Amino acid sequence: MDSAPSPSLDVATPERVSLSLPVAGIGYRCLAYLADLFILFVFWVIAYFTFTLLVSDVIGFFQGLSGLAQTLLVVGVFATQWVYWTAAEVLMDGQTPGKRLVGIRVVRVDGSPVGVLESAVRNLVRVVDSLPLVYAVGVLSVLLTRQHRRLGDLLAGTLLVREERIDLDKYTAPATGSVALPAAAHAERLTSEDVELILSFLTRAPELEPQARARLGTKLVERYGGLDEAGRATVLASPQSTEAFLRARVQTER
Amino acid sequence: MAAPLPAFVTRRRPDWDALKELLDRQRAGTLRLGELRTLDVLYRRAAADLAHAQTFYAGTDVHRFLNQLCGQAYAAIYQPPRERLASTLAFFRQDFPRTLRANGAFVAASAGLFLLGILLGAVVVLLEPRGAELLVPEHLRDFIARKEMWTDGILTVSPPNAVASGIATNNLTVTIVTFASGILLGLGTVFVLINNGVHLGSVAALCVHEGMGGKLFDFIAAHGPVELSIVVIAGGAGLMVGQALIDPGELPRGQALALRGREAVKLVLGCAPFLALIAVVEGFVSPGDFFSSWVKASLGLALGGFFWLYLLRAGRGGAGAGAAS
Repeated sequence: MDSAPSPSLDVATPERVSLSLPVAGIGYRCLAYLADLFILFVFWVIAYFTFTLLVSDVIGFFQGLSGLAQTLLVVGVFATQWVYWTAAEVLMDGQTPGKRLVGIRVVRVDGSPVGVLESAVRNLVRVVDSLPLVYAVGVLSVLLTRQHRRLGDLLAGTLLVREERIDLDKYTAPATGSVALPAAAHAERLTSEDVELILSFLTRAPELEPQARARLGTKLVERYGGLDEAGRATVLASPQSTEAFLRARVQTER
Repeated sequence: MAAPLPAFVTRRRPDWDALKELLDRQRAGTLRLGELRTLDVLYRRAAADLAHAQTFYAGTDVHRFLNQLCGQAYAAIYQPPRERLASTLAFFRQDFPRTLRANGAFVAASAGLFLLGILLGAVVVLLEPRGAELLVPEHLRDFIARKEMWTDGILTVSPPNAVASGIATNNLTVTIVTFASGILLGLGTVFVLINNGVHLGSVAALCVHEGMGGKLFDFIAAHGPVELSIVVIAGGAGLMVGQALIDPGELPRGQALALRGREAVKLVLGCAPFLALIAVVEGFVSPGDFFSSWVKASLGLALGGFFWLYLLRAGRGGAGAGAAS
């Protein structure tokens, strides 16, 4: 494998196919952490406001609480700090709400889902990773290890993989535009890289600047169209016809 | 020659979509038994498609999509067995005490370090009382100078169950830190153990020196044995982690670490409920003079005795069956 920009987790399955899952780097991890932090924060803010709205004499209320209620309160605060992460990861297949939002997942180094023990290890070691402040140790560890793992991950034998939302519709989208466009006459076969290039242009075309859209479309038509002068002029008349032609060019490739 | 990419996608996509839907159903827990076979078939087909894509369409979005799809299916199919309540019981009946006995050397080393700290703290303060200014925190020295126990005040501020829950969470934090800092080559654990030992030893020595030894004994007698045992066990777990880092043996360091980490955390998780129980004792029994010193001491000895009896005896029967699992 060449020096890939983003590392991956390679798993050899019993089916003799090797999977290669993209590993989540420090950006994804930070985002997910902030999202979780935000969720906990919002929870406490809401809890605080509903509480103060319902109870006018806060201090008196706490003193009046039965011993059991006070104990439960302390244990509850403790739980949000320690148990939230592990409980979420175990119940939600390796994702906390924040991780689900960002689209990353904790897995073991062999690609299987995490269990209670692994999740407990990586979340107990959180206390060391967050030393001395703002997760400095964890950040260093993520930056220095090949698969971006913090100390907790190293000890638990886990890592975070990314889940991308890949849209396959672009491959099967029907060729639009009923205008009779000249078919590619003497075109050679497209390689899958060429198909990928054309499709990524077609996906992005509606958001491009008009000039860039026309320029890139022209280049692609010239390169893959295999048209004569007259055909090219018809195709390049408008961005819509250019893209319809390119779409058809990819689709007829069967 | 491979089919062009769009043709390949158009032809195979229905199967992928079906697999994806089944995986969603599996995750939601609504998968029916009959669909399992379909899931298996579809997974194998997708794996074959992935192999095909790796060869002919490497680096395309289809390749990435299939990687991810197969990764999810692989995770769903080759799942490790789930931990349930029954296995929680088995954990406390057998797994936890056995793990502890198997790693007794580490717990012993941890106990040694802790004792070393206690001795250091005590000897320094007894030989040179002014050393207490260095080792004992100022607010404690103030209390001792006034011949009061700092723990007497606890119950006048809040009721015993609030004290107990506060103590429980505090002790849990100490235990977690003792274990987790083992990841720093074990040095963190060594430091925490010795540091806590020195703290305890110097405070005790200062109390004895000021003629308050009886009061201190009165306070720690009931909960001390179990609580200190748990700190020592957590220290043992931290040392296990440190040892795996320094001397991984025949495994690569990363694998050794993951393997030992799984073992070591069992010691910490196993201790958690006992820590909660002992905090109840520390909150209700230890402070004040409602119970006499002798009641407290015998309670402490009994609790400590039971705890270690459990750790050393539980799950011994059928050890052969346990070793196989």
